[in-house]
Amino acid sequence: MERLQVLKGTFCSLDAFQKQLLIGSAVAAGGILAYMVQKRRQVKSIPLGEGWWGAGEKPLSEDDQIYPFKVQTSDEEIEDLHERIDRTRYADPLEDSCFQYGFNSTHLKKVVSYWRHTFDWKKQVEVLNKYPHFKTKIEGLDVHFIHVRPPHRDNQKVLPLMLVHGWPGSFYEFYRILPLLTENQDGVVFEVICPSIPGYAFSEASHKQGFNSLAAARIFLTLMERLGFSQFYLQGGDWGSLITTNMSQMKPQCVKGLHLNMCTSNKGFKVMLSLIVGPYLPFLVGLSREDVRRLFPFFEKNVWEILKESGYLHIQATKPDTAGCGANDSPVGLAAYILEKFSTWTDIRNRDLEDGGLERKFSLDDLLTNVMIYWTTGSIVSSMRFYKENFKGNPDNRVNAKTGIFVPTGLAAFPNELLHCPKSWAQIRYRNIQSYNYMPRGGHFAAFEEPQLLANDFVQFVKKVEKF
Amino acid sequence: MFTELLVCLLIGGLICFLVQRSRKQVLKTEDGWWGPGAPPDGGEDVTIYPFKVSTNDKELEDLYTRIDQTRPVPSLEDSQFNYGFNSQYLQKVVSYWRHDFDWRGQVDKLNQYSHFKTNIEGVNIHYLHVKPKKVPVGSAAIPLIMVHGWPGSFYEFYGLIPLLTEPTEPHDLVFEVVCPSIPGYGFSEAPHKKGFDSVCAAHIFHKLMQRLGFQQFYAHGGDWGWLVTTNMAQLQPKTVRGLHVNFAPPSKPGLPMALSIMLGNRFPKLFGFTDMDVQRLYPCMDKLVVESIKESGYMHIQATKPDTVGRGLNDSPVGLAAYILEKFSTWTSRDFRNLEDGGLTRKFSLDDLLTNVMIYWTSGCIVSSMRFYKENFGKGLNAPHSKMTVFVPTGFACFPNELMHTPKLWVKQKYRNLVTFTPMARGGHFAAMEEPQLMAEDIQKFIKLVEKKKQQ
Repeated sequence: MERLQVLKGTFCSLDAFQKQLLIGSAVAAGGILAYMVQKRRQVKSIPLGEGWWGAGEKPLSEDDQIYPFKVQTSDEEIEDLHERIDRTRYADPLEDSCFQYGFNSTHLKKVVSYWRHTFDWKKQVEVLNKYPHFKTKIEGLDVHFIHVRPPHRDNQKVLPLMLVHGWPGSFYEFYRILPLLTENQDGVVFEVICPSIPGYAFSEASHKQGFNSLAAARIFLTLMERLGFSQFYLQGGDWGSLITTNMSQMKPQCVKGLHLNMCTSNKGFKVMLSLIVGPYLPFLVGLSREDVRRLFPFFEKNVWEILKESGYLHIQATKPDTAGCGANDSPVGLAAYILEKFSTWTDIRNRDLEDGGLERKFSLDDLLTNVMIYWTTGSIVSSMRFYKENFKGNPDNRVNAKTGIFVPTGLAAFPNELLHCPKSWAQIRYRNIQSYNYMPRGGHFAAFEEPQLLANDFVQFVKKVEKF
Repeated sequence: MFTELLVCLLIGGLICFLVQRSRKQVLKTEDGWWGPGAPPDGGEDVTIYPFKVSTNDKELEDLYTRIDQTRPVPSLEDSQFNYGFNSQYLQKVVSYWRHDFDWRGQVDKLNQYSHFKTNIEGVNIHYLHVKPKKVPVGSAAIPLIMVHGWPGSFYEFYGLIPLLTEPTEPHDLVFEVVCPSIPGYGFSEAPHKKGFDSVCAAHIFHKLMQRLGFQQFYAHGGDWGWLVTTNMAQLQPKTVRGLHVNFAPPSKPGLPMALSIMLGNRFPKLFGFTDMDVQRLYPCMDKLVVESIKESGYMHIQATKPDTVGRGLNDSPVGLAAYILEKFSTWTSRDFRNLEDGGLTRKFSLDDLLTNVMIYWTSGCIVSSMRFYKENFGKGLNAPHSKMTVFVPTGFACFPNELMHTPKLWVKQKYRNLVTFTPMARGGHFAAMEEPQLMAEDIQKFIKLVEKKKQQ
């Protein structure tokens, strides 16, 4: 009270000019503050941009019809595969090296023997065709996707959903989770679109340089529009996580919710601070006990391990045409390259096992079907080019790296994911996190490995957003 | 005053102590066993067996069938060699390989020198042994071991060998040359156990030279050969009379190097930087860091997952050729990345390039050659030998397009007895193969100087 009197006295004692100055600067400060608060709240988006990726010059008009598509095979294709497998020239692994030098040759022979004599590609093609496939031309490229409509629609809310895969995966990774999302009958059910990123599987590869995640995001937004969906959910991991994030940044008004099983955070002051203080006072920097368990010791768990596991990223981001060349002629070489990831990224301790722990979580049929998708489409080189296109220049300076994500977001943190991202780090860019859960088990290929867990988390996230 | 003096004395004493310590350091190693299973009870078989490179119809037919079955993927429009080996140009190279390349003729060429094999520490070591036909009266041929790198082989030296064993100049020295293949490369057996690094290779090569009866010899190397011969000089400095290298990336950045990077382009004379040094090092972020990242993807994956990346290359000759020849393009000159044909045939003939590729193909050694990266880098960059200096007389040939440019100051940090440092007129990473005349001249110059110094 007395202070107020003192203030009032001081104020009145000022002369007219000083009073005006004080009031003026107070108003200005208030105005700037209000503007800043307003700006933060404003949902920023990134520009859509445009592109054309076909061969040669862009024609005047484009065919935007949607054509049904069926996966096919032939005896020639299978015979050619068998011939090449029979001609593999193996090299002995070093004694006691397990999977530390890459895919162990001795175990590779066992996998290949199954592939050559037991694996039934014709049967797997029928499995692939159990969902309807389509192709449509967008920005000069044939984009492939499956469109799964739920059979039971009465008394249920039917929500459109797009699932985006990564490398070295494909749309096939989602085949175990699709029934859990499209055939349930507890009120919420999904109509799912699973596209292949251009350059992967049955989607045509770009002929021009520069096809990065922003281009893929824009093409997928066009696809949803062409299919008649004005609002939808998105789910992704690996490249799918970046592409769906970009989609949410380009047209936030269309994305009802974004669910990711892998996310990366910007390096920044906040992250650094939590790394330094985290092991000692985790709660101070927003880290939970589980976060601490997964992150530290940081150098060993994250820096060394990332260096040991990112050779493929380095060569694919610089010389994809060289790296993929041999793998496109040698099915065994392709299988070793791809399946090594399904071993190590599912659990990093698999490197110390003779068999790489490959069949602990996946069946050989499923793994080889994914490999066959890369083999029969000859898409390994174009799939690798995506790395170079996305790492050109400094990724931190790209427009999407500086813009936040404001759509409702759900994150599922799997314990054996390559790099753990605590909620506090994710919040730096994902400003509207509605759900963040630690999953009890599972690695990088979450949808493939733990479909039930991922489906449960995704459905509970959607119910939160829909206010069910 | 007294305290200043004391501090100076202490610092001086510390420096002396450190210098003494480094002077006394000799690299130590033990005998290894790299053969399959356990070493046999009887002694080692020290016989030297003559060896001839051979081929047959089956080998060629298999190669052609695989080439015919290649599934090429077109390169992106206007990408030249920036995404790796350009697919369109690769078709041209492969067409030559399939229809015009004469492997039998090349095998004869390979056999023009005498090849041998001998078993050391459990693995069969292949090497060439080229004795000069004529030695000037009153002198002896000087023994010289030359070690190749990756993705090269002993074949890289075929242009250089005659210039050293049969020099045309009357005052030139005459050499007796030994060119081994590093275990895991070419016709040398690959180690069966983990842990075979450059020091192990150096130890084996010392045993080889000893088995051949050489008490002292000179050593030359580039790429891995640089490291193996450097280790040889560190293991037995009294045996290695002189060391000549054309590649010497700094292994332990020290204060002088850091200072020179920071201040070198402002005060080049202070660090002995020439114009070429400044041009090749600055802007250092771009030239040292970004360029290294752009070109070291192969090293990163080979140092972590050699068995995976080599797998497909051992089945696909075209894949192998693309992987190897990309280096012969980009490491000869970085600018070649912007050429449609990668400038591949500007400095090399397709016959020579493909012969080198065929050595990797017919021996199936690509995977084991890549493992050498993991064995050397897998545990980080802190191997004991990288911290030790080299006191053996050294000659460095500084080629303008080498991958990593090392100015004289940096070379001297490790090679304390630098007798010659020659900026070469032209040439890149595969200098012995690209500019054998220049290389021979520099080797002559270096060794003549060392011999003169030793006689005094």
